[in-house]
Amino acid sequence: MIRYEAVTKRYGDGPPALDGLTLEVPAGETCVLVGPSGGGKTTALKMVNRLVEPTSGRVLIDGRDVASTDPVILRRGIGYVIQQVGLFPHLDVAANVATVPKLLGWDRDRIEARVDELLDLVGLEPGTYRHRRPEELSGGQRQRVGVARALAADPPILLMDEPFGAVDPVTRARLQDEFLRVQRTLRRTVVLVTHDIDEALRLGDRLAVLATGGRLEQYATPAEVLARPATAFVADFVGAGRTLRRLDLLTVADALVPGRTTGGGPSVAPAATLADAMAALLTSDGPSVPVVDGGSVLGEVTLDSIRAALRESQVDVEVDVEVDT
Amino acid sequence: MREGKRLAVTPLLLCAAAVGVVVWAHKGADVSELGVLATGKLALRVREHLALCAVSTALAVAVAVPAGVAATRPGLRRLAPPLLFVANVGQSVPTIAVLALAFSVTGIGFRTAVIGLWAYSLLPVLRNTVAGLAGVDPAVVEAARGMGMSRAQVLRRVEFPLAWPVVVAGIRTAAVVNVGTAALATFVGAGGLGALITVGLDNQRDRILYTGAALTALLALAVDWAIAALAELGRSRR
Ligand SMILES: Nc1ncnc2c1ncn2[C@@H]1O[C@H](COP(=O)(O)OP(=O)(O)O)[C@@H](O)[C@H]1O
Ligand SMILES: [Mg+2]
Repeated sequence: MIRYEAVTKRYGDGPPALDGLTLEVPAGETCVLVGPSGGGKTTALKMVNRLVEPTSGRVLIDGRDVASTDPVILRRGIGYVIQQVGLFPHLDVAANVATVPKLLGWDRDRIEARVDELLDLVGLEPGTYRHRRPEELSGGQRQRVGVARALAADPPILLMDEPFGAVDPVTRARLQDEFLRVQRTLRRTVVLVTHDIDEALRLGDRLAVLATGGRLEQYATPAEVLARPATAFVADFVGAGRTLRRLDLLTVADALVPGRTTGGGPSVAPAATLADAMAALLTSDGPSVPVVDGGSVLGEVTLDSIRAALRESQVDVEVDVEVDT
Repeated sequence: MREGKRLAVTPLLLCAAAVGVVVWAHKGADVSELGVLATGKLALRVREHLALCAVSTALAVAVAVPAGVAATRPGLRRLAPPLLFVANVGQSVPTIAVLALAFSVTGIGFRTAVIGLWAYSLLPVLRNTVAGLAGVDPAVVEAARGMGMSRAQVLRRVEFPLAWPVVVAGIRTAAVVNVGTAALATFVGAGGLGALITVGLDNQRDRILYTGAALTALLALAVDWAIAALAELGRSRR
């Protein structure tokens, strides 16, 4: 668990880069710091591994102030991924991934086995890539090696600063999928920085929306941020497509009208998103789309049932908020 | 690969050229010329010359590389401009003046010549050390620090290996320039191949003059080769 307590950072005597940030990231969750450039996201991230020290306030890991741990020791227990990747150009992939295990004094066999395991995990065939130099890799492959390197010593915490920012959109989407897959099995405590709201909604269990000047505008689940933006800034940042984005977060099961169906044409599975259902609805001839699981028909979704699902999820969120406060 | 081949062929060519120079120097030489150009005498001059260059370059590396490292540490960055200024002065003052200055302190001999050459070779080594370290991608350094390397480990395992080619280029420049400049050491009585050149000039003996000049040039090429070869060896060992 990571906890920020009233953390403020000023560089020189300028305005604060981060202004009184208080938030808690539960263990095993992904917290995405999102907001426009200059919002203090990187500053907040680097306070966890003490690459930046707060001007006031403190950062706690599992209840312990990071300022009380030697930064070198602290950092060996925290994975760190940056946009520029920062692979060591004079070392091959295996040596790059082995960096922290070597610092920790693991023996050779253990390091070798670990490197292969990690390359497999990030989808790089060890036999092919172990002895490649960073310059011989594509942007996406470099980023995978960067993630493998950060995970090498099995740190409970992972800090990622715009990890998928430097690759093309197709590669980015694939890396995001793989991140979700890996994170589902590993359940690390992740703090991830991005300026891309779509990426934030996709990857985060919780979003911390930071405005310029380092003010926290909202800290909530993606569904809540979409359904109930806390401030005009958040509403604006999430943008006009917010309703359509909410369809991505709801499933067909949420809008299912059980029973028989009158619809023909395309059908959807109950686990599909409402965005998929909406697309099916738009391309079908009738007013409903059949919901099919395996071979059996469960019911249908209609425009009305989708509307109701959206309304209902908004109410859910409001109830959540009331419980929270 | 091509660099490797060049490194292998160069010493053979240089040896052949040196033998050629000696044969030419001896062919038809009169007794007084042979007194200066005897193979043993030439070898002595080459040894003197090499010793001057090796000692002064080594001392320059010993001072300028740590100074360059210090000047690129965070917090000490302000050191870089004044250090480079001093080194610039060392280089822009004519060597003969540096030698004269050193002469007034340490008198005649090897030590004086080494001091002069040393002052002259600080700049290229310092400048390249600073440039090499400053040129390391900051993202790579940040990744290294973020993974828990101490400052010393970042320097030793990341910054220095990456700056190494640039540092070596500076050492190479310093050493090669030193071979040429060391020809002036004879003026403070430190011998070297410059002695042949001055004897040749003073007595109007072109044979002696040319032999000294040709051997100096060959020595410069040999030193250039040796440092490149050492650097290549160091790189492939890593
Ligand atoms: N090392 C630094 N020195 C001075 N100002 C900085 C430094 N790092 C960041 N800043 C300033 O702090 C603000 C927040 O920066 P940053 O945390 O990088 O924001 P973000 O990651 O959200 O783009 C910016 O105005 C930036 O210019
Ligand atoms: Mg940033």
